[in-house]
Amino acid sequence: MSNARLLRPCWAASLLLLALSQPSWAENIDADGFKNPLQHLEFSPQQEQYEFERSTLEALHISDPLEQWNRRVYHFNYRFDQWVFLPIVHGYTKVTPHFLRKGVSNFFSHLGEISTLANSLLQLKGHRAMETTARIFFNTVFGVAGVWDPATKMGLVKNSEDFGQTLGYYGVPHGPYLMLPLLGPSNLRDTGGIAADYTLEFSVNWLNVAKESERHPEIFVLKTVDQRYITKLRYGQLNSPFEYEKIRYAYTKARELKIAE
Amino acid sequence: MFKHLLTSLYIALSLLCTLSFNAQAKQVPDSYQFPLHNAFEASIAGTPSVLRPMLPDDATIRQHDYSLRLRPEREYSLPSNFWPVKTFRYRLAQQAGPAPLIFIIAGTGAHYSSSTMEYLKKLFYGAGFHVAQISSPTAYDFMVGASPYATPGYSPQDALDLYAVMRAIKKQQHKLEVTEWHLTGYSLGGLQAAFVSHLDEQEQSFNFKRVLLLNPPVNLYTSINNLNRLVHTQVVSANETRTFYQLMLDKLSLYFNKKGRFDFSEAVLFDLQNSSQKLNPNELAMLIGSAFRFMAADINFTSDLINRRGMITPPQKKIYDGTNLTPFFKAALLCDFECYIHKQLLPLWRVHFKHQTSLVDPAPNADLDSLIQASSLYALADYLSHQEKIGVMHNADDIILGSGDIGFLKRHFAQRLTLYPYGGHLGNLDYRDNAADILEFFHE
Repeated sequence: MSNARLLRPCWAASLLLLALSQPSWAENIDADGFKNPLQHLEFSPQQEQYEFERSTLEALHISDPLEQWNRRVYHFNYRFDQWVFLPIVHGYTKVTPHFLRKGVSNFFSHLGEISTLANSLLQLKGHRAMETTARIFFNTVFGVAGVWDPATKMGLVKNSEDFGQTLGYYGVPHGPYLMLPLLGPSNLRDTGGIAADYTLEFSVNWLNVAKESERHPEIFVLKTVDQRYITKLRYGQLNSPFEYEKIRYAYTKARELKIAE
Repeated sequence: MFKHLLTSLYIALSLLCTLSFNAQAKQVPDSYQFPLHNAFEASIAGTPSVLRPMLPDDATIRQHDYSLRLRPEREYSLPSNFWPVKTFRYRLAQQAGPAPLIFIIAGTGAHYSSSTMEYLKKLFYGAGFHVAQISSPTAYDFMVGASPYATPGYSPQDALDLYAVMRAIKKQQHKLEVTEWHLTGYSLGGLQAAFVSHLDEQEQSFNFKRVLLLNPPVNLYTSINNLNRLVHTQVVSANETRTFYQLMLDKLSLYFNKKGRFDFSEAVLFDLQNSSQKLNPNELAMLIGSAFRFMAADINFTSDLINRRGMITPPQKKIYDGTNLTPFFKAALLCDFECYIHKQLLPLWRVHFKHQTSLVDPAPNADLDSLIQASSLYALADYLSHQEKIGVMHNADDIILGSGDIGFLKRHFAQRLTLYPYGGHLGNLDYRDNAADILEFFHE
C-alpha cells in the first residue's frame, strides 16, 4: 500500500523524464513500435479539402477537338506496335550484338545533332550551341562519323532541341493535340516542327545520309527500327482505362517543361 | 541521488517494455542503415541505386508474356473500349532446368510488369527461381480479363480469382519443370497472398512451401482511410491560384532550369530532394494520395461499366473505339476508395457473400464491419499463428498501417515477422539488406 503511494510520484517523474530526455517521444511512437508517420502531416481545414479534385479536373482540360480520330489512331498504333513494330525490334535485338545496336543508335543520334544545333541557335542559346558544335566535331572525327560517342565521355552532355521547341520558345501555343500514325503523341505545333526538322536534315545532308537514304531505303528502315528500339514507351504500360488521357497530359506537360528549360 | 535512481528505474522499465514487445519479432541488426528516414520520401523515391542489390540483366533472363483466355462468366458482354485487355496476360521467366517456381502478386492497381514486379522478378530469378508475375486483382487488366464480378476488395473472392489464374498458368506451363511452389506479394498483393495460401490448404493445387507477405495491409479499412487522408494535406496556401499540379510542375521547371537540362531519370527524385525545390512531407503525401485516387478512378470506372451499375457510365450508353471517356474519367475521379466500397463493393457483397457470414447484428455499420473483418488479416488470425511457412516483412513507419496493426503482426507471426525501423511503404524493398532477407526466407 505504502509502496504504491510512494511509487506514484515516481511514475509521474519518470513520465516527465521520459518526455524530456527522449525527444522522439514527442513523435508519439506506439508501444508496439509503430511510428504513426501520418502525425507529421498538416491537414487542410474541412472546407478546403478538395485540392486533389480541383487540380485533377483542371488538368484534364487539354484542347483535343480531334479526339475521336485521335483515339482511333491510338488504337491503330497500339496494335501496330504489338503486331509489327515490337516483333521487329525483338528480332533486331536477337540478331545483333549490343555494341552494334549502340553504334547504330549513336550514329543516328549524331545526325540529329544538326537540328539541335540549328534550333539552339534559333533560340539564341549560345552555350548549348557551342556544346553541340563541339559534340559534332569530336564525334565526327574521333567517333568515326558518330558511331562512337567520345564527346559524352569527355563531359559534353547531349542536348536535344527541335523546331517544335523553338516555336514554343517564341510563344507559339501547342494547338490541338494530335495522335500521329506510327509516330505517336504530338500536337499541331510539334507536328509542324517535325516537318521542319526533316526538311532541314534533308537540305543539310550531313554525312550524305539523307540523300543516300533515297537510293537505299534500308537506311531509313534501320533508322525507324532504331527509333523504336530506343523509345521506352509501350502502349498498355499504364494499364488504365484512361491511358489515352494520361498520355495526352504527360506529353503536353513534358513538352512544356522542355520548352521552359 | 534520487534522480539517478529514477533514471535507472526508467531505463530498466523502458528496456522491459521494448523487450517484451521486441522479443516476439525477429531482430533487425543495428547495422541496418536504410538512409531515408522520412516515410513519405522513402515511399516515393525507394532506395538510392548504390544501395540496391546486384541483379541479373534483363537480356540474360529467359522470359515471355503469355496470354490466357479465361472468359470469366458475366451477365453482360464486355464493352468495346476494353479491347486492350480482353485476353489476360502474365509474365513468366524460366530457368534452363528444373527449379522452384514463385508466384508474385502485384500491389494495388499494379500491372505484372510494373517496376516493383520487375525488381522482384530479377531478385528471385537471380536466386534460381522460375518466376510468374501476376497483375493485382485491383488492376484494370485483371478486372477485365480474369474476374467474374470485377469488383475487387473482398479478399476471399480476390483469392479465388487469383487461384483460378494460378491454376491456369500451371496448366498452360505443364512442360515447365517445377520442383516446389512458392508465393509472395507486396502491399495489397501481400494480403491476398495470405488468403491464397489459406485457400490452397483446402484445394491443394500447389502446397506452397514458403509464403512471404511484403508490407501487407493488416486492416484493409485503415489502409484505405490513411490513403484517402493523404490528399487532404495542406499543400496550397489559401491565396494561391495555381493548382497543386501546377505548383509541382513549376518546381520541376525551376529545378531543371537551374540544372541546365531536362532529363527525367529516377536519380532526379533524390537530386530534387537535395535542391532548393525540395518537396515537403505534405506535398509528398499529396502525391502518394493522388496516385491512389487515380487507381480508385480506374477501379470505379471499370467495375461500374462491366457490371452496368450506372454509377459512372449511364447503363444505356454505347461505347465505341472513338468514344470520349473524359467525362466518365472525371466522374470516377470524384469517388475515392471509401466511396467505392459504399457504392460498389458493399452492395455486391450483400447480394453474393453476406449469407456466408452468420450475421445477426442489426447495428448500422454491421455489414461494413463484417466485410472489413472478412477482408483483412484478422480473418486469418488463427491460420497465420500456426502456419510456420508464412512470414511477413513490414516497416515501423509504413503509411498504410494504423495503431495496433504491428501489435497484431507481432502476436500472430512472432519470429516470422521482420520489422524494419524505416522504409515507409515499400521504400526499402530494394535495399540490399531487405533483398538478402527476402531470399534467405525462401532458402531456410
